Parts: sequence; structure tokens; C-alpha cells
Amino acid sequence: MDSGKVKFFLSEVLRNFSRNTGMQVTAIGTVAITIVLLGLFLFVRAALADAGNRLLDQIEISAYLRPDATPAQAAAIGDFLAKDPRIASAQFVPKKQGLAELRTRTRGAIDTELLTENPLPDKFRIKVRQPEQVDPVAATVRRLTGVDNVVYGQKIVQRLLALGGVLRRVGIGLILAFVGVASIIISNTIRLTVFARRREIAIMQLVGATNTYIRLPFICEGLLDGLIGALVALALLAGARAALWPRLLEALPWVQLRAMPVDARVLAAQLILTGVAIGVLASWISVGRYLRT
Amino acid sequence: MISLRGVSLVYPNGVRALDNISLEIGKGDFVFLVGHSGTGKSSLLRLLYREATSTAGEIVVDGIRVDRLRRNRVPALRRHLGVVFQDFKLLTDKTVWENVAFAMQVTGAHTRDVMRQVPRVLDLVGLSHKSRMYPNELSGGEQQRAAIARALVNNPKILLCDEPTGNLDPVNTTEITALLQRINLKGTTVVVATHNQAVVDRMRRRVVRLEDGRITTDEERGYYYLGLGQGQVLSV
Repeated sequence: MDSGKVKFFLSEVLRNFSRNTGMQVTAIGTVAITIVLLGLFLFVRAALADAGNRLLDQIEISAYLRPDATPAQAAAIGDFLAKDPRIASAQFVPKKQGLAELRTRTRGAIDTELLTENPLPDKFRIKVRQPEQVDPVAATVRRLTGVDNVVYGQKIVQRLLALGGVLRRVGIGLILAFVGVASIIISNTIRLTVFARRREIAIMQLVGATNTYIRLPFICEGLLDGLIGALVALALLAGARAALWPRLLEALPWVQLRAMPVDARVLAAQLILTGVAIGVLASWISVGRYLRT
Repeated sequence: MISLRGVSLVYPNGVRALDNISLEIGKGDFVFLVGHSGTGKSSLLRLLYREATSTAGEIVVDGIRVDRLRRNRVPALRRHLGVVFQDFKLLTDKTVWENVAFAMQVTGAHTRDVMRQVPRVLDLVGLSHKSRMYPNELSGGEQQRAAIARALVNNPKILLCDEPTGNLDPVNTTEITALLQRINLKGTTVVVATHNQAVVDRMRRRVVRLEDGRITTDEERGYYYLGLGQGQVLSV
């Protein structure tokens, strides 16, 4: 390894980086803003998705059996449910137990002693593994012989699933827009630094430096812009979360928000990678365009 | 070393800069290209280091078919050539040493070779004692010597000079001319485009005269003005 070569290269990168401070600040600021918006969006989306999933997790399907269903039919239904891979658990609740549960749940508000006979049918209490499977599982169960009626929070499930889908689509659109705008601004910034160094580039070309070699410092510059921008954004995001999130949790107790709905390390890695990718891509494009002409 | 056959250059705007040029320059030759501004001297040099591409004809430089050279092979060609300009083209934020070393470093030269080669060429051009100075601390002649050192640092077989003395006073012009001659004596082929009559007439080397993109005369020991010679030296 030729340490002198490495030293020369690094000193060139640093020299260029520190020379156009104003432009670097612009580029870094743009990346930072983009990454803050992106991070904010990813965080909120994760929080909402998390809250939605928890609601969905609590949803269970009650499959009420026909009053004239035989124990054999009930057993057959139980076997069938146990075999379905989409179902996490299926518990048989005989009418007696159902009445007892009703009694505890209503805490005596309904005087079950007054009932001359148990009006509740036997039922299966079913939990599915994935929220998306609530609807199809309910449809399957409804067709089974001996099943009278299937009850679950249809509307809630459908709305939550629809919301999730909208969030995902809007999110991808927004992210693409952010990244696009940031890339344009950074590539313009880099183009200015390329222009500021056109003499140097001309001399490099004159003495026979390859385009790859000429391009490399600019790519590193873009990489640094992206990296620093992403780190600034992460600091801002972490500060904002520490300051605001506890208050938000307090203000919205009915929304089931978790303190940290995403793995912070994963999110940080994603954001840093995005920042670096924006910087590298933008500089690659703008230098490439300059060298071709 | 340099061979042009039927070379023409028409710029995209329709200007015919060179028209059916044929020229042979041998190894170790010293050649002046003379003519008025805009007659195609610079264009001819630009073709040789592939800053421009000919629209017709065949160009061979040090065995390389320059007119057919693929874009990604151009750096390899330029490492065989040294080019010097009227405006020096030095980097103002680098010292003389750094400017000269830069030409080696950006071609990926080994540091060991840089450390050996840079002092050698600085010594050749007589700038060893000013290697730590910046270009704007030097006189024009010294700047041009630094530029020549940079052009020579990769040991080119050919040195192309486009108006090397255009910005210099007579004393510095003489120094630079002497330096070019010394470089030529070491075996480097030197091609100088100039309209400095004094330089041409004093050196009495091969003179190729261009007019409107064509070679009008090619004399072995020529003068700047056609028809001079046989003792009628124009006063310098």
C-alpha cells in the first residue's frame, strides 16, 4: 500500500470539501431536511401501523353454533379450525361458560339469575395469526356446517387495513419525492463545485488522469455531504423524539402508542444509507454530465 | 513520431480550421508552427493531444492512431505528451512542487517515483529553490518554467507548446526558448506554435507555416517571415 497516494487523495478531498463551505452547507442542509422528513414519516407510519396492529391483534372471531348443532359437529368444527394454518387459536366456549363470562363482564348489570334458560349458543373463539386474515377466515368459518353466525369487528378491520394500504402508498410516493428533490439540489450543488474546479479538472485531463480518477473526489464529497446531512438529521430526530414523544403519549392516551415503535438502530441505518446514497448518486450524475461534454 | 495525412478539422459551427494537412515530424525534431492568429496552429496542436477530433485524415502520435482513439484511451495518449500553454494553467492554490507532483499523482504514480522525478524536473527548469512558492509569487517566466516542469514530469517523448512565450517579456522569452532547446537536446520532440518572430529567427529551426488552415511552407532552417533568409536577417 502506497500511503503517500492515500494521503494525497484524502488531502485533495478534504481541501475541496473545506474550500466551498457555503455550497457544502447547502448540500448538507438539504440532505438533513430530507432525512428529517423521511425519518419523521417512517417513525409516524411505524407508530400508526403498530397501534393498528395492536387493535387488530385484539380482534377475535366469535363463531356461534346453531342451537341444534350436535356435539359431533362441534368436534368436527374444532378439528377443522385446529388444522387451519391461518388460525392461531380456536377455543370452544360452551354456552354455560359463555353465560358465566357474560356475567363477569357485565359485573351484575344484567341479572342472569332472572333467566329461566341460557339464551346463548355454544361458540368458538378464534384468533388469527395475521390481521389481514380476519376477513377470509371469518368467511371460511361461516360456511362450515353447524355454524350459525360469525361475529367480529368487520368494519374496524376493514378500515384499519385500508388505512394501512393508503399510508403505505402515500408513504412511498412521499419518500420518492423527497429523495428526488434532494438529489436535484445536491447535484446542482456538486455541479457548482465541479464548475469552481474546472481548471483543476482541465489540468487533470490534460496530464492524462482517467475520468474515474477525476470523478472519485467528487463522489467522496457527495458521500460526505450525504453522511453529515444524515447524521445532523438523526441528531435532530433523536432530540425531537426525546422532547415531544412522551408528551404525545400523554396527550393521546386512547391511541395505543408504544414508546418506541421502531428499532432505532434499523431506522438510523436506513436513514444514513439513504443520505449517503443521495449524495453519491447526485455527485455521480453531475460530474458524469460535466466530463462527457 | 508525429504523422498527419490529409487531416481536416471542421468545427461544429462550420468553421474550417484545418484543411487537408499532411505533416511528418521525426523523433527528436524541433518544429515551429507559425502563422497569424486563427490560422489553425492551436487547432493542429489540439488534434495531437486529442482535445479536438479531426473530421478527416489520419493522425499518428507515438504509434497511436489519435484520430480513431476511443475516449477511454485518451488519458493513455496524454501521458505520452507534455503540453504547455501561453497562460501556464498552474493551480494557484498549490505550490510549484505540488503543481508538478499533481501531474504524476493524478495518474496514479507511486509516491516513490514522485519523490524522485519532481526534484529532477525542477532542477532541469531551474526552479528547485522556488519549489515551495505559489504561482502568484513567481515571475511569468518562472511560472512558465513550472508549467514546463509539469509537462515533463511524466517523461513524455513529445512536448507541445502553444504560444509558450506569449505572455513573457524578451528576457524571459529567451530563457524559455533556451530551456526548450535544452529539452530538445535530451531527445524530446518539441513542437512550438508561436508568433514570436524573434524566437523563430534566432533559433533557425524547422518552420512550418500555416495560412487559413493550410500548410503553405515547410522549411528546414526557416525564418518567421517567408522570403527572409540568405543572410537578410530581420533586425531583432
